Amino acid sequence: MGAHDVTPNRSVLLQLKSRIKLTQGGHKVLKMKRDGLIIEFFDILEKARAMRAGVSSDYENAMHAITIARAVEGEVAVKSAAYALKADPQVNVTSKSIMGMVVPKVEADHLHVSMVDKGYGVISTSVYIELAAVAFEKLLETIVRAAEVETTMKKLLDEIEKTKRRVNALEFKIIPELKESERFVKFSLEEMERENTTRLKHLKKA
Amino acid sequence: MFGFSNKKGNYAYTTTRAKAKKSLLLKEEDYNKMLQMSTAEIARFISDSGYSKEMIDLGSKIEGMDLVERATYRHMADSFKTLLNGSQGELHTLLAAYLEKWDNWNIKVILRGKSYGLSADDIRDDLVPAGNLSSEELERLIGMESLDEIIAAYCKDESITIPAEIMTQYKADGNLGQIEDYLDKFRYTRLIKIVSADTVASRMFLDYIRRDIDVRNFETIMKLKSEGIYGDKVLEYIIPGGKQIDAKFAKQLADYEKITDTYPDITQLDFYESVKDIIDNGGNPLEASIETRKFQREQAKKFSSEYPLSVLPVIDYMISMEIETRNIRTIARGLESGLDKETVKQLLVI
Repeated sequence: MGAHDVTPNRSVLLQLKSRIKLTQGGHKVLKMKRDGLIIEFFDILEKARAMRAGVSSDYENAMHAITIARAVEGEVAVKSAAYALKADPQVNVTSKSIMGMVVPKVEADHLHVSMVDKGYGVISTSVYIELAAVAFEKLLETIVRAAEVETTMKKLLDEIEKTKRRVNALEFKIIPELKESERFVKFSLEEMERENTTRLKHLKKA
Repeated sequence: MFGFSNKKGNYAYTTTRAKAKKSLLLKEEDYNKMLQMSTAEIARFISDSGYSKEMIDLGSKIEGMDLVERATYRHMADSFKTLLNGSQGELHTLLAAYLEKWDNWNIKVILRGKSYGLSADDIRDDLVPAGNLSSEELERLIGMESLDEIIAAYCKDESITIPAEIMTQYKADGNLGQIEDYLDKFRYTRLIKIVSADTVASRMFLDYIRRDIDVRNFETIMKLKSEGIYGDKVLEYIIPGGKQIDAKFAKQLADYEKITDTYPDITQLDFYESVKDIIDNGGNPLEASIETRKFQREQAKKFSSEYPLSVLPVIDYMISMEIETRNIRTIARGLESGLDKETVKQLLVI
């Protein structure tokens, strides 16, 4: 709607004033939300960086451990131990709210299973296979935690982008247009006021 | 299968064969050469070093690292079978008892494979028929439908009675771990019973087995402690009959809450020197597994030439053969997976 496509009357002027006030309030709140999200984002960014480094190092450790296990004990022994595993890791995805934004909360159960409950014998299972199993359990745990942080970070980025667009739209389009409409209505009303005064003067002369 | 034989056994024939076979095993310099080779070159090298039959037989079905691993396992299995089948009397009984560990290996592979839902072909590929069970007997076990049937048939074949409480626990939680542990403990117990201590050679063999039990028990205690398990729970996994880690010492070690608490006590163990460096450098004694294997290897070497007409040269050959199989695999897989040569070399038992 153009700034001039409004009916210039007092009621519209009051409506415009009220809308401007509301919009400016909304703009202020959204700006605060954007700033808050950015602060939150930088916190999460630090966590995500640490997580990524953790995933990389845990991955390297796990791969090193499994390589050693495969070399020393053989592929057959490693595979056989894996077939015996009874553990069934569960990943539960719930949600939590950060400044009104819903982000996932990822939790995992049964990631670490005690050696005695794994499903293979404790006595004959090689130390190297056990060390590899523990390293992979740790990697899985780190990946699950990283998944939560990374998803939260991506959602935060989307939300910041969305909020920024809204703030900009309010700041550079909606509020200026409303102000322009208000100015137009005010000017029109003043013009009508002046016309009325002039008309009354002419009537008085006549 | 494990009944005592009155016949003394054909020691001269079997030990001569074992020694002849041992002379064909790879030497330290061969491993050093292999460390400079690619997987294909290693495959070629071992083909020229006595593994050609197995490499050709399996070459049409598998390739690369799997070929090297399976061919070396098959070669070892065939060698052990040849010696076992050629032995007689009490020597046969001793060798059969020693090789029962491969029956245990195979039954575990079958049970784990079946419980996972592997096909018979996949399970068969992973078997190492180096023990007492023939290929036909293993095939019969693979062909059985349920795990209970397989366990019952294996126990019948090997004259094993699994305690009712272990079977009840297994039926309740489906965890094969306890059955596997029982089979391992039973194997050692039977082996100790079969090896009579009436000759010096037998006593040396018995000593070797009991030291092996010590190493196993030490690893088990450390593994469980690293999981935070200590006290009486640990004792459930202790193999009786150790030379130094007897029931009392095992309890003493098991009762410590942390691995580090055990350090003052383990200094008295024969193989302490093998783990000392790792402990002194702040490492976990679990990382010393290769070192304890080297210790065991040294023990076997010591007795190999002392009593030429006893079970010792045959056992020494079998240990050496197993180590060769392991070393070839370690070099090939290690190098293929990108481990540096120094690391691979440290993993070798020479």
